[in-house]
Amino acid sequence: MIGCNHRGTGLDVRGRLTFDTQQAAEALHTWRSQFPETELVLLSTCNRVELYAAMNGESKASATNQLIDTLLDYRQVSRQEIEGRLLTLAGSDVVRHLYRVASSLDSMVVGEPQILAQVKQAYQNAQAQDCIGPLLHELFQSALSTAKRVTGETTLHKHRVSIPSVAIAELANCVFETFDDKHALVIGAGEMAEETLRYLRDAGRARIHVVNRDAERGQELAKKWSGEYHAWDQLWAQLVHADLAISTTSADQPLVTAAAFAEHVAPERYQRPLFVLDLAVPCDFERTVGDALGVYLYSLDDLNDACEKNRQARAAELPSAENIVAQETDRFLANLNHRATAPVITGLRQGMERPKAAELERLFRRLPTLDEAARQEVEQFADRLVNKMLHPPLESLRNASKNGTPHSLLEALKRLFFLED
Amino acid sequence: MDSGVNMLCFSASYALALILEFSGLWNRLRLRRFAVLGIASAGMVAHTWFLGQRVAHAPQAPLASHQDWYLLAAWVLALVYLAAKFYHPKSSMGLFLLPAVLALVAGAQAASMTPLATFQAPRLWGRIHGVFLMLGTVAVLLGFLAGLMYLIQSHRLKHKLPTGRGLRLPSLEWLERVNSRALVAATVLVGGGFFTGVISRLAHAGEKNFIPWSDPIVLSLAAMLIWLVVAELFRLVYPAARRGRKVAYLTVAAFVFLLFVLVVMLLQDTLHTLPLVDGVGEVGL
Repeated sequence: MIGCNHRGTGLDVRGRLTFDTQQAAEALHTWRSQFPETELVLLSTCNRVELYAAMNGESKASATNQLIDTLLDYRQVSRQEIEGRLLTLAGSDVVRHLYRVASSLDSMVVGEPQILAQVKQAYQNAQAQDCIGPLLHELFQSALSTAKRVTGETTLHKHRVSIPSVAIAELANCVFETFDDKHALVIGAGEMAEETLRYLRDAGRARIHVVNRDAERGQELAKKWSGEYHAWDQLWAQLVHADLAISTTSADQPLVTAAAFAEHVAPERYQRPLFVLDLAVPCDFERTVGDALGVYLYSLDDLNDACEKNRQARAAELPSAENIVAQETDRFLANLNHRATAPVITGLRQGMERPKAAELERLFRRLPTLDEAARQEVEQFADRLVNKMLHPPLESLRNASKNGTPHSLLEALKRLFFLED
Repeated sequence: MDSGVNMLCFSASYALALILEFSGLWNRLRLRRFAVLGIASAGMVAHTWFLGQRVAHAPQAPLASHQDWYLLAAWVLALVYLAAKFYHPKSSMGLFLLPAVLALVAGAQAASMTPLATFQAPRLWGRIHGVFLMLGTVAVLLGFLAGLMYLIQSHRLKHKLPTGRGLRLPSLEWLERVNSRALVAATVLVGGGFFTGVISRLAHAGEKNFIPWSDPIVLSLAAMLIWLVVAELFRLVYPAARRGRKVAYLTVAAFVFLLFVLVVMLLQDTLHTLPLVDGVGEVGL
């Protein structure tokens, strides 16, 4: 796995590497034709861009380099620009990492519910592009079930907590005493916008205004939250009236520059407080807009502190959740390693079954007077004997698989029992 | 006081409440909040008892002397603190209000106990004059403290500093509202106090009805009133001045004037201590 996330990489880099659903599908389609033998899943959210791959025959270093080049070339980012900021993982670390990501233990807001849907979406996207093979299929399926186990067995997700909820509860409440008489402007109509509106509605009865390029989607969102839709060219007018602005578009460039804000919005606002929650990646508001009097601009990175507080509050639940992740990681790796022993087990079993069948046939020929019940009893005896003889080597294999593929044991069994590859 | 309740009793209560408020920067135990409320309320009861004793002993009290005046202002501010504590139990407003209460009590300790001449002037005007100025002082103080909190909260939000831990302040909207209302109230009350003082002076029978405009306390009070009126006009004319930061700066400036008035009162209260021509008492504005 290679990628970057909110822990080690700022919005500037994440913004350049991020993919929306459509772009992710196109990228996977391209990579699929470039690397037909490689399984790929691309997980791109506000806080992370991660490319998961499973391939045969490549050395770890070469595979990692190939993946990095693939991702960076596609986004036209040079290696120098992200030097030291890319995360690369391999083997068991990937399994543990994905389980932690899906269980929301690696999220900016620990326990946030959105990430599970995003992991599922990434997996389905890869499936649709035919990029999924048996390994990543099993890995992602187990990641989803691990996340469900964490949700069910801990109280980490007891209270729905996400970046928008933290932003509303921790920050917007520091600006506004009540939301009842406030105008909330939502720029963009994505999932994050909807999530924010949910928390905003819980906090009060703010008047909701939606500005979106896609009128149909914008009207749909406005209708759902009993708000008002405004055409895109009304953006400045709506910013003048707004008390709270939530921006979640997927625009490549900032929509609101400091110069445009100073020209179109600031003179009409007379320094009335404006709380801006810029949840877009890359940012929709130029950072210097926050320097204007009365403007309190928060981007995703700025929410780190509030999220850290949230993380501490859930710290008590973290050991249980991490324990589940560790158990599931061990189980997955053991199963994976055990699967590598399958041909040897099949060979062993066949090696026993063949002489058993031959000996039974010879015995029944010598004792033709045996009735059906007696014959079944003898067959069961033979089966039990074979199973008991196979049990010690199979158990040894299973135990050895917990610590990785037991290559030496497999080799020994092959030589002892004349098993072919 | 023969009841055993003295200024030290309620000062100590307020100081203890302030220490507990400070400890709230690090620990957020619910018990601490109840302890703060309990101790501050005990201080309030002792403070009320002390003022009651003063009224019992001196009919003109609780505004009969500079000391009474400071003590009553401290009492009103302590009452505001308790009300604020009920309204915003988790906030750290005590860190701002309680030092002001203690400063007023300290001012009372340093202030003169000599009866004010205003109470030898026509009784009604004298009392109204005293009450207006005392409440005006509290309003300016409140506006200043709300403005200070607004500027701190605004700075923290602007610079993305943690707002949920340690120092917890009310929302900017609430602080702006308190700040604006305090400025309006201060203008009305200080104006009322100033003009009732003039009326009281003019109505004082048997005296030359002149207004000593050169007196430092009259000058500083007039300057503060002019500033408050100008600030109010500025707010009416210029919409941006109705917003938090601007209002906060206006109230902070008003506090500087108030500070000057209070210092003059403590050090050089020439007008209120002028002996009457007939030597019966003192002349008050």
